[in-house]
Amino acid sequence: MPKCTINGKSIEVKPGTTIIQAFKEAGEEIAHYCWHPALSVAGVCRLCMVQIEGQPKLQIACNTVVADNMVITNKSEPVKDAVRWGMDFHLINHPLDCPICDQAGECGLQEQYMRYGQYDPEMAEPKQKKHKVIDLGPTVVLDSERCILCSRCVRFTEEVTKTNELGIFNRGDRSEIGTFHNKPLNNNYSYNTIDICPVGALTSKDFRFRQRVWYLKEARSICTGCSTGCNVNVYFNEEGTWRVKPVQNDKVNGYWMCDKGRDVYKFTNLPVRLTSGKTGSKDNWNLLEAGALAKDVGATIRAAARSGADKIALVITGQYSNEDYDALFQFFSVGLGVQNIYHWINNPEDMNGFDGLLFRGDRNPNTKGLVARLEKYGVKTKWLDLEDKIKAHDLTHIVIAGPENHSVFPDLETKLRLFDQVPNVVWLSAGKSVAVDGLTAVTTQIPMKTFIEKDGTYTNYAGLEQKVKRGTTIVAGALTLEEAVHLMSGEELDMNMRPLPPKYLKTNFLVHKGGPL
Amino acid sequence: MTSTFQLSEEGAAFVKRELNRYEDRHSAIIPALYRVQKENNGWVSPESVTYLSHLMDLPESEIEEVLRFYTMFNTKPVGRHHVQVCCNISCAMNGGRELADRLCQEFDVHDGEISGDGRFTISRVECLGACDKAPMMQVNDTFCEGLTEEKAIEILREMK
Ligand code: SF4
Ligand code: SF4
Ligand code: FES
Ligand code: FES
Repeated sequence: MPKCTINGKSIEVKPGTTIIQAFKEAGEEIAHYCWHPALSVAGVCRLCMVQIEGQPKLQIACNTVVADNMVITNKSEPVKDAVRWGMDFHLINHPLDCPICDQAGECGLQEQYMRYGQYDPEMAEPKQKKHKVIDLGPTVVLDSERCILCSRCVRFTEEVTKTNELGIFNRGDRSEIGTFHNKPLNNNYSYNTIDICPVGALTSKDFRFRQRVWYLKEARSICTGCSTGCNVNVYFNEEGTWRVKPVQNDKVNGYWMCDKGRDVYKFTNLPVRLTSGKTGSKDNWNLLEAGALAKDVGATIRAAARSGADKIALVITGQYSNEDYDALFQFFSVGLGVQNIYHWINNPEDMNGFDGLLFRGDRNPNTKGLVARLEKYGVKTKWLDLEDKIKAHDLTHIVIAGPENHSVFPDLETKLRLFDQVPNVVWLSAGKSVAVDGLTAVTTQIPMKTFIEKDGTYTNYAGLEQKVKRGTTIVAGALTLEEAVHLMSGEELDMNMRPLPPKYLKTNFLVHKGGPL
Repeated sequence: MTSTFQLSEEGAAFVKRELNRYEDRHSAIIPALYRVQKENNGWVSPESVTYLSHLMDLPESEIEEVLRFYTMFNTKPVGRHHVQVCCNISCAMNGGRELADRLCQEFDVHDGEISGDGRFTISRVECLGACDKAPMMQVNDTFCEGLTEEKAIEILREMK
C-alpha cells in the first residue's frame, strides 16, 4: 500500500488511489469542479492543482495516481497562484449575475472566489454572449453563460442514466451544453444534473426563484417516494418545505435520487394537508382537535370491540413507520383482538417494478416493515375477504391508516367508495381529500404527521432499517399514528417518553400544553 | 427538408466498415458524416443524424457533438456548389478577403448563404493548406489556386 503525505499528514492509501481521493481520505480540502466521485475523470477544470515534491510542474489531483512516498500539498504559493488564475479563466465569460442566480449561496464559483480569488480581473475583452434561459425539458433550465463546461452533467447522462441526452456543442468559447435538436432532457433522474452542476447553469424548474437558499434549513431524512428509501435532505423554513436533495449513502442510493422522489416534499405542505380533526359526514363536518377526537373514537371502538371484534376492520397502507405499526398492532390486534386486518396495496401491478437504478414500483416507504408485522401477528387475510365482508354488511367499524402521499394512490377513490359502505369510518391521513369529505358514512378524520414531522424507522425493500428524525413541524395539530393509537387506547400521551427540543415546544401546541389532552 | 434520410446501400455498407476499422467506434463518426454530407446535397440534417445514430448504434448527442465541432460539416443546406474562399493569413495578404467579397457581389449572395438561383453557397474559411498558391478557394472537392478575381469568376461561371 503506497504511503504519501498530504499537506503534512501521512496516510496510506489503496494502490490506484488518485491524489484527489487521498485528499478526501486525509480530510483535506481541495477545489474541484469537474471531478465527481461517482463519475469518470475528465480533468478539464484545472482547479484541483497540487504540488508534488520533486516534480517541476503542478499536477491535477483528480487524474494523478498516488505513488509511494509522494509528498503532496495544495497549500503552497504556486498552487494558490495557479488556482487563482484558473478562476480568472473560468470567469472570463461568466456573466456574474449572482444577484439573480438561483445557485447563489451554494455556488462553487462563489466559494472558490472567496477562498482563492479576490483579485481584480485582468480581462479587458468583452464577454462572449451565450444563450440564457434555455428550456431543457420538464425539470431543468440551462443558462449557457454561467456554464463552466465541466461536463459533469454530460457524463451523468452518459454514465449513470445512459440516456445520453446532453452534449457539448460547438467549440472554443462558443461551446455550449445542449441536447440534440432540442430534444427534452426528461429521464427520471434529470434533477441530479442540477445538484452536480457546480454553478448556476442548470437550475430546477420546481425550485428556481422560490426561495433564497440561505433562508432555508435542512433536515436529514429519507425519501418516502418508493421502497428504495433514498437518503435525502429536506429544505424548509417557517413557511413549509421547498425541495429535496439526495445525500450520499453507498448502501442505498449512492449519490443520486430519482425525479419522482423530488416531489415528496409537496404533500407535506399546508395547502394539501388535513389540518384539523373532523367528524361528521358529507357536507356536514365538525372540526375538533385531533387528540380529543382520537380519544372519542377510541372509546367508541373499544365499546364496539367488547360486543364483537369481528365487526371491526383495520386497513393499513405501507406509508407509516415501524413504530407506528407496532403501536397499531399492539392496540388493535393484541388489545382489542381484531383479526380483520388488511394490507391496502396501492399499485398491485407494478409492486415489484424496478427501473434498474433506484426507482421501484412499490411507492411506499415501508411495505417491508408492514409485511413483517402482518406476519408477526399472524395476519393472513386477503383483500377480497374485506370486500366480501363489506358487501355482506358484516362490519360496523372500519379504521384506515390511509396514505400520507395521496398522489401515489391512484385507487384512492375506488377504495373510499368501498369503505363508505361500512356504517362507521375512521380515516387517518396526513392529506386532505375531497373524496373523504364526500363520504356518507359516519366518519372521523384524524390528521396525521408526515415523515418530516416525526421520528421513526422505515424498512426499505432490501430489509435495511433506516431511522429518520423529526425535522420540522408543519401541521401542529396533527398526530403521529403512534400518538393517535395511544389516545385511542385510552392512555394519555406520555410527553416525557421522548424529550423534545425546546424549539419544538414552541411550535406544537399539543405538546406545549403538556398535560392530558 | 427531407423528413426521412437514408444512405445508399453502398453508403451504409461503408459506414458499417468504418465502425470496425478503428479501436473506438466513435472514430467512425467523421467518415460517416462526410458520407452523409456527400449523399445529402452537401449538408448534414438533423434527420440524417438520427439515421446515423440508429445505423451506428451511437447516441445522437455524440454524433451532434462531432458535427458541430468541425467547420467542414454544413449544418444548413448549401447551394449546388459550395465555394470556400480562404481568408487566412497568406491568402489575406494576397487579396483573399477582397476575392470573397467580389464573388459574393458577382453572384449576388451573402457570405454563407445560398444564391437565389440555388447554384452557390460562398463562405469564407480559414487556411486550407495551400498557402504557397495564395489566394485560393475550394469549389466542392477541388482546389483552385493562384487566383485572380477574374479567374475565379470565370471558373464559377462555368459551373451550372
Ligand atoms: S451545465 Fe453545469 S454541470 Fe453541465 S457542464 Fe456546465 S457547469 Fe458543468
Ligand atoms: S428511487 Fe424511490 S426512494 Fe429513491 S428518490 Fe426515487 S422515489 Fe425516492
Ligand atoms: S477536478 Fe481535477 S481538473 Fe477538474
Ligand atoms: S492561408 Fe489560404 S491556404 Fe493557407
